[in-house]
Parts: sequence; C-alpha cells; structure tokens
Amino acid sequence: MTNIIEVKKVSKQFNQREILKDVSFTIKKGSINGLLGPNGAGKTTIIRLLNGVIEAPTGMMNVMGFNPKLQGDEIRKRVGIVTESASLYHDMSAWDNLIFFSKIYGYSNTERITHLLEQFDMLGFKDQMVGSFSTGMKKRIALAKALLHNPDLLFLDEPTNGLDPEGINEVIHYLRKVNQEEGVTILICSHVLHQLETICDSYLFLVDGRIVENGTLAELEDKYLKKINLLVETGLKPLNSQTYKGHPYKRRGANQLEFLLSTKEEITPLLSNILNETWIHTCEITNRSLEAIYFTIRGGRGVE
Amino acid sequence: MNKQTILTIARKDMKAAFSSKKVWVPMIIIALILCIVVPSGIAYFGIHFDLVGTSSKDIEKPLNSFIENFPNEDMRNTLIALPTLGYKFVYFFLSFMMIPFFLMVAIINSMVTSSNSFVGEKERNTLETLLFAPISIKNLFLGKVLASLIPTLAISFAAFIISSIIVNVITYPHFKVILYFNSIWMILMFWVIPILVLFNIILNVLISAKVKTFQEAQQFGGILVLPIVGIIISQASGMFFLSPLTLFLIGAVLLIGNLFLLKLVTKFNNRNTLFQSQIH
Repeated sequence: MTNIIEVKKVSKQFNQREILKDVSFTIKKGSINGLLGPNGAGKTTIIRLLNGVIEAPTGMMNVMGFNPKLQGDEIRKRVGIVTESASLYHDMSAWDNLIFFSKIYGYSNTERITHLLEQFDMLGFKDQMVGSFSTGMKKRIALAKALLHNPDLLFLDEPTNGLDPEGINEVIHYLRKVNQEEGVTILICSHVLHQLETICDSYLFLVDGRIVENGTLAELEDKYLKKINLLVETGLKPLNSQTYKGHPYKRRGANQLEFLLSTKEEITPLLSNILNETWIHTCEITNRSLEAIYFTIRGGRGVE
Repeated sequence: MNKQTILTIARKDMKAAFSSKKVWVPMIIIALILCIVVPSGIAYFGIHFDLVGTSSKDIEKPLNSFIENFPNEDMRNTLIALPTLGYKFVYFFLSFMMIPFFLMVAIINSMVTSSNSFVGEKERNTLETLLFAPISIKNLFLGKVLASLIPTLAISFAAFIISSIIVNVITYPHFKVILYFNSIWMILMFWVIPILVLFNIILNVLISAKVKTFQEAQQFGGILVLPIVGIIISQASGMFFLSPLTLFLIGAVLLIGNLFLLKLVTKFNNRNTLFQSQIH
C-alpha cells in the first residue's frame, strides 16, 4: 500500500506555545487510522495543517502528492472533513445544506446527495431543518456532507462526541462501510479509545504535541503486552488458592478466575488443562485493550 | 474568481436573511418609515394643514431669513416664489432634507446584513467548514459583499420609486414640479448610494471578519452612521449644501475609499490569518 499522507518533523506554535513538536508519521492509502491523545494534545492542529488551513513554519507535509501550504485547494477538493461541531446551517433543511455544500465543492449532483442520504438512513428527514435534528442525525448529515464530492481521504475530528452508545455504533458502522465500499482512507481523531478499537487498522498516539507511538494493535501488543491477564469463566476450583499448574491466578467471581501468564503461548496448554477437569464458557485477555496499551505508553498517566 | 461559488454563498446568505422575519422586517420598516411615510406625511400635512403656521411671525421671520441666505440661487428663487411658508417648508424638506434619510436607510440596512456576514458564520460554527472547503477567501468575501449589496440596494431603490410616486401625487398639483427627478437625486440614488453602500458593506464585512462577536461588529459598524448625522445637521442649518457637484465628489471620495478597502481585503486574503484569528 502506498502512503497517502507523509509528515516529517512538523512543528507548530501558537502564541509562543509549542503545539506540535517534530511530528512525523505516514498514513497508508485505504486504511482507517486513529489519531489518539488527550484533549489539547494537538490532534485538531494536525488535521488543520494537513488541510492547509493553517501553516506550519517547519517540517514537510505531503497529502496525496500535494503540499498543504502551497496547494491547499487541491487537497481540500479531494478531502472530506467532519469537524467536532457538525458545522451545518441549522436554519436550512438537510437537503438545502447538502445542495449548498455540493455547489461549494463544485460537485453539484442530486443523485449523489440522494444516495448518501439513503446510505445514512436520512432520506426521510431530508426536508426537515437541521436545527431540529438530534446530535446523531446531525453527525450523519455532516458525514454525508463530507462525502459529497467523493473524497479520497476523510478526516474526522472527535466524530462520536455527544453521541449516545447507539449513535456511536451507527457512526462506526457507517465509517467502516465508507472505507470498504468507497475505498476512502480515514483519519479519526479521538480521545475516546475503546470506540476506535474495532474499526482502526493502525494508531498514532499523540501526547503533548509529540507522536509517542504508532502501529497496528498487534504491533503495539507485541511491544507493550509483557504479561497476559487471562479472565476465564470456568467451573474450576483449584486446590491451591494462589496458583494452578504453576500459573498465578486471582478469583474475580464465583466462576471467574484471572490468570497471570508470561506469554500468549501459555494460553492453549492452560485451557487444555482446565478443560480436562471441568467446563469453560468464556476466556478473554483483559489487558490487551487499546486503552490499556495507551496507559502503558503514557506511563500510567490518565486520559484527560 | 469563481462566479458559481460567489453566487452560491450570496444566495445562501440572502435566503437566510429573508427567511428570518427578525432580519428583513426591520429593514423594510426602516425604509418604509424614513423614505415613504415621513416624506408623504410631510408633503400631505405640510400642504393641507398649514403645519408651519404662516400666522406666526416668530417662525416666519427666521425662516424667511434662512431662505434669503440660502447658498443655491435656483433653490432660493424657487423657495421665495412659493406662496406660503408651509409650501416653502415642504418643498425644501422634500428636496434636501430627505437626502440624509435615504442615506441613513442605505447605511443601516447594509450594516444589518454585512456586520453579520463572517461573525454570523463563526457564531454558527460554519466558518470553519467554509474555510476547509476548496474556495478562495476572495470568493467567500465577494459572496458576502454581494449578499448584503443586493437586498440593500433593492430596498433603497424600491423605497425611492414608491416614495417618488406618492410624494409627487400629493405635491404636483401644488408645485407643478416633479420632485426627486433632478440631477441631485439621480446622482444621490445611482452614484452616491451604491458607492456608499458598497463602502459600508466592505468595511463591515472586514470588521465582521476581524471581531469575535456580532455585538462587536455592530458596535464598530454603528460608527459609520455618524457622518450621516453630520449631513442632517449641516443640511438643516444650511451650513453645507449638497449640490450635484458636492454629491458627485462625495461619491468619488467614497469610490477611492472602496479601492483602498479592496486593497486591504487583498492583504487580508489569507486563509491562515482568518483561521487563526477566528477559529479556536
């Protein structure tokens, strides 16, 4: 896969405050990427720089072969963006909003608008004022707006903010659909980690304006998962209250034991041993979540 | 320059302004009162009800003295020839005192729409999305200017036409002269007002792009009404007479002002500056 975004040693200051420090990363074409970090880490600034709406004094950026500083409009023609606030006109209907933005993007096509409204289950609401919509509905219209001109790249800044769990699932579902069906490369900025776990191919961790880590979940696990916490729902009642077959464990519930293993390779023999004695209903590695890895990377500091 | 983009932005803004009664009703009411009701009322009551009171020597003496010292000879002679003080007052008021009223309406209406242009987008969180679109700041700016210029001029011209008809229907049988259809009014309506409105709009759009809130934009924009108040006072006192040449020169100065403002806009034509000053 080729790189659709390349960033090398980019720094950015605002009012003498350094927002980004020597940021370097690449994004593969067709992938879904999570840009993760606490509030104020510089995630939104990266999106703005990549779109050429603000300028970086140092470093090199290449987005689809264009320099954001000099060829911003070329990038903006090929990029869709959903900002944190849905950025729609509340006193206009969903249809009028999409017609307006399609003209602004020079891609006035009512068939495309109808198709997107259908995709996002909003066709039935097209004539209603956006101001009367729920946050989830606004996000869906904002997503449709971002996709009007068939972009190659989609930037989403905190796309799930203000959404209920159902709304979050819907957005994640639509993003996956857009990526798979239209081949759109996606960069999602978020500080809510567990929502991205199921959708992203790779992650960038931004802390205090620096990219402190990046990679796929598997790569990050290999690097940071030194111990395995395995939670097993089982009828096993070990005689030794501290270890079972040499593996230390803690009882988490009536039928739940959490084993501490050194490597993933120890999982299968352990489960075989248990199955020889009794039943197992579920088993899960509890410390492999994105959030757990994030905390490990940040050295135990909490998410803001 | 992308005409499609400019017209799309202008249409969207005009539709938004005219879909909100709070915006267009005051614009129409101001024009209706200042440009139609006031002159029609002055014309009708001045002629038919002898408002000034010719019997009052106390008023007649200073008014006649004012007319005798009036700087423009034609106007002086016309005023002296009119039979009653009421006629003189109506003729003078409609010919000269109405000029600042039309200027005021043009200024106020252009300010209402233009001061909201950028700051309105910012307050609705839509400026960010417009700056993320592949449109130039120049086109965005021109769209905003056009969205204020068209309704302001349309209201001013409509008010002028309606006022002319009503006022002349009332006054023609008495004065035997068609009021408003002279060089002063033609220069005012088709030279000074369009240039003044454009000047006010560009200035207000620039202010709107610089300030943080709509209230700030209104405060700055309101300062522009002051010169018009000055014209009202000078006209009423006879201190300063708006001859065709004076009006032409005012228009020319404003035109130069427009060119200066456009140069400022070009300097300001930077997405990075606009984004960093307005979006947080």
